[in-house]
Parts: sequence; C-alpha cells; structure tokens
Amino acid sequence: MKFLRHLTAVVLAVAVIVGLGMLWAHASGGPGRGQAPVHEALLRTEQIKTGVIRVHSGNGFRLADTGDLIRTCEIEAALAAVVITVSVIRRRRRRMRRTAATA
Amino acid sequence: MNAGPTTPLADPPVTASRRRILARTRLDFLLDALLLVAYTLAYSLGFTGIALHEWLGTGLGVALLVHLTLHWDWVIRTTRKLFSRGSRERFVWLVNLLLLLSMTLCIASGILISEVALPQLGITPPASSFWRQMHGTTATLTLILVPIHAALRWRWIVGVARRSAAWRPGRSR
Repeated sequence: MKFLRHLTAVVLAVAVIVGLGMLWAHASGGPGRGQAPVHEALLRTEQIKTGVIRVHSGNGFRLADTGDLIRTCEIEAALAAVVITVSVIRRRRRRMRRTAATA
Repeated sequence: MNAGPTTPLADPPVTASRRRILARTRLDFLLDALLLVAYTLAYSLGFTGIALHEWLGTGLGVALLVHLTLHWDWVIRTTRKLFSRGSRERFVWLVNLLLLLSMTLCIASGILISEVALPQLGITPPASSFWRQMHGTTATLTLILVPIHAALRWRWIVGVARRSAAWRPGRSR
C-alpha cells in the first residue's frame, strides 16, 4: 500500500514536470515552429515499417564501435573522481579541525 | 507472534528485520547499478544504435519511477528538513532535484522524437525541433549529474559492495 501511495506521488511529480515541459514548448512557439514536415515524418514511419529504411539497432550492440561507450564511461568516471576527491579532502579537513579543537 | 527462547528455530525479530533491511539495501544497490549501466549505454548512441537507444530510454523511464518510489521517504524527509540541515544534504537534494528534472524531460522528449520504437508500435510522435534540442541538452545535463549523484553516495556504494562481496546465502550478516 505504501509503495502504491509513493508511486502515485512520483507519477504525479513526473506528470507535473512533463506538463511544464509541454507548456514551455507551447510558449516557445509550439511544435509547429521548426518542425519536420508531417508528411515527411509519416513517410519515414512507412519506410521503417516496410523495411525501406534499415535501422541498424535491430541488430543490437555494435561491438566494434565501442568508442562512444568508452567516451561516456570516461566522462562519468572523471566527474565521479572529482566529486569523491573533494569529498575525501573535505572529510579529512573536518577531522583535522576536530582533532585540533580537542587537543 | 512470540518468538521467544521456546522457539529456537524461529528467527529472533531483530534478525528478521535486519535481514529485511539488508534485502532492501541489496535491491536499491542492484537497481541503482542497473540504472547507471542503462543510462551509460543509452547515452552511447553510436554503440547501441537508435532502436536499442530508444527502448533503453523507455526502460529507464520505468526504472526511474521505481527508483524514485523506493526513495520517496528520503525525498519527503529531506525536503522537510531542508532549512535545518547542513549544507551537504542541501547540495545532495539540489543535485537530485536537477537530475529528476533533466532525466524526466530527457526521457519525455526522447519519446516525443522517437523514430523507431513508437513508429514500430504504430504511433507517430509529432517530431519538433524544440523537443530534439531539449533531448540533446537534457541528455548532456543528465550525463553530468548522474556521476555526481552516484559519487555523492560513494561511501554507501563501497559499503554495500563490500558487504555483498562477503555475503553468503543462508548466512545473515
């Protein structure tokens, strides 16, 4: 029951964010401005369905093309390393200050 | 429900509750790890290709809802104590709020500009440059916030990983 109550609250919060995003889109000119022609979109959909446009992703991961994945991992690792280093330094300083205060 | 010394086979209440907490911690840890891996893969469009990218993104949306639901207690507790707690907790709250906003908008815009997943289901989303731009910007912002979000809890991650590595089935620690 608690899980369902929390899930409802989360769905509401997410709906509010998406709603605000929609309002933003509307305020900045709506989906019409700079939009790809509807006919083009429909044509693309039809071409995907009939197999005229071949979408690579149906075959899954491109194991030979790992450059993109490695770059993402590098960015994440670098940012995490910075946060952890700052956290360790701050903790060490706090401990030193506490030790100095008690001494 | 008396689990006293006369019933030696039954778990004492403290152990049972501890076991429940450990199971919940393990669930949190696995789901968080799954979210991190899924986001890393989804962001690497060149590696996954468009269809897998879109399906991963949709799955991430569902996992994000579950993650938020599991931590909703923390959200309420921290929001209430926001003005009486230390600056670190306030910083964590702010990072989490930004991550919620950017990830939600990233997934929503991704659905709205879907080129493969939704058309495969017979739905044609209204493609717009606004949502394309929104998707790119929020994806980059999320890429910055995800590692910060994870790294802010690195002690918890290391603790759970250590305990999980030492854990043996049937043995409560």
